[in-house]
Amino acid sequence: MIWLEGVSYLRAGGPALEDVTLGVSRGELVVVQGPTGSGKSSLLAVAAGAQAPDSGAVWIAERNIAGLQASSLPYVRRNIGYLPPEPLLIPDETVLENIMLALAVRGESIDSAEADARETLAMVADSAWEGRLARSLSTGQQRLVALARALVGPPSLVVVDEPASGLGGDDRKGIASALVWARDCGCAVLCATSDPTFAQMLVDEGGRRVHLEGGRMAGGPAIGLVPTPAGFAGENASEDAESAEPIPSSDRRSSGEEPS
Amino acid sequence: MTVAWILRRARRPSASARRALWAAAGSFVVLGLVCGATVLGLRATRGWMSTVGRSVHVIAFLRDEMESDQVSQLADLLRRRPGVARVHLVEPAEALARLRDAARPSPATDSWLNDLEPGYFPRSIEVALAPSADLPQRAAELSRRLRGLAGVAQVDAMTNGVARLAAWVRFGQRLGWAVVLAAGIAALSFLVSAVVRGREARRRQAQVLVILGETAGNIRLPANIALAVAGLTGAFVALVVLRIAWPALLAAVEGALGIIPMPAGLFLGFWESAVALLAASTFGWVLGYLSTPVPGWVDA
Repeated sequence: MIWLEGVSYLRAGGPALEDVTLGVSRGELVVVQGPTGSGKSSLLAVAAGAQAPDSGAVWIAERNIAGLQASSLPYVRRNIGYLPPEPLLIPDETVLENIMLALAVRGESIDSAEADARETLAMVADSAWEGRLARSLSTGQQRLVALARALVGPPSLVVVDEPASGLGGDDRKGIASALVWARDCGCAVLCATSDPTFAQMLVDEGGRRVHLEGGRMAGGPAIGLVPTPAGFAGENASEDAESAEPIPSSDRRSSGEEPS
Repeated sequence: MTVAWILRRARRPSASARRALWAAAGSFVVLGLVCGATVLGLRATRGWMSTVGRSVHVIAFLRDEMESDQVSQLADLLRRRPGVARVHLVEPAEALARLRDAARPSPATDSWLNDLEPGYFPRSIEVALAPSADLPQRAAELSRRLRGLAGVAQVDAMTNGVARLAAWVRFGQRLGWAVVLAAGIAALSFLVSAVVRGREARRRQAQVLVILGETAGNIRLPANIALAVAGLTGAFVALVVLRIAWPALLAAVEGALGIIPMPAGLFLGFWESAVALLAASTFGWVLGYLSTPVPGWVDA
């Protein structure tokens, strides 16, 4: 589904990621755990196609998106449900409209998008919020709405960064259930958290935990699962991304992940 | 994103984007008024100058003892003079007829007008000069020469009136250009300000849509459509306002300057109006493109 291979990413203060290799298959939930500043957000941004790595490859649907033209990236991104560290919503639009946007981009009809958005909002948060403007919500509520937007559909790949940050017990259970639901729907789910309790909650639900420290995978640079490069639901993926090559099998390395 | 979604989003801008859109539409109205008034103003002043050029600039009233062949000789001499556009000999009967035409009909005037005879009026020669920048000077020079002739009783140079009118038109043109420049700069400033505000309002929206995988073209499209419609609406309103207000304004200016009214229907033609509407909507489309910042990659 997704295979990050030897990914390095630099930021102003120094390297955020160094030679990180990680794979997530369809129907798999991977929890990236690490302290603040360990590079989790950078890793997830690179995995979601929101940031370009400085070196390495990000294989999604047998295409290396790090080598794609900028004009081809949207066709990859629309099949990824991404929750950034700060919930990015359109403040002047309603909760329902914010969630529906993800489906609008995928070309779903307005009526169908409205029904799906309602269903996902009810699963992740509270249906009563649907008519409220996003700016009227608290940060925690906005995070839940952004999570609903990441899960609606659901997309083939779900990348969520600190989904339970600042939320209480019931909400955390609800988020964990939603992520498990997405995994059970066949999505590849990649979740980052610095909260060991929440990470354990996901591991208890069958998730696989990997540790990130100082921009490196704990235990070596090449921790990850051998991915199954089965078809990414990239039916809209740009056909001009022909420079992408299949994942070289010799370069795939076995994972050293912690057993769940 | 499908066409239905794009139209839905174009119709439902955020509150801040809606404010910026109204400001842009208002700026388009002002800009349309300025541009339209400039074109029509230039057209009107050209018409006024043409009217001034066609007018009689010098009238020489002749003595009764001047023979007809002398009068004809004088008229021929004047016609051959460089810069003279037209020479017309006004006989006493024509002078009386003009007076009767010009006088307001009333019981009081009718009685004494009927008593008048052509013999009371002197013959005169009306001279129209070719229009040019030094017309007042040429009219004054011709008057001076005519006054020196033995058969000429009096010369009405009309130079002062012509010069005053020309000066007013020149002043009006300068003032008009200054107003046009100031109003144009103000309207453009409002428009740029509206676009910048709209850009800020759409920045967050564009970031969200980039993350969701929308293409740059589709992210910009709602703003393109909205501002093109704002441009079209603004230009249309400006055309309607000018169509209603311009004749009254023109009549007021002509009345103040004492100019013969322009012929009716002096307004922008159908194709000129169509081109103006098309230009405004295209300009709006371009502004829509500029007012939506689309990042290639998104800051994590």
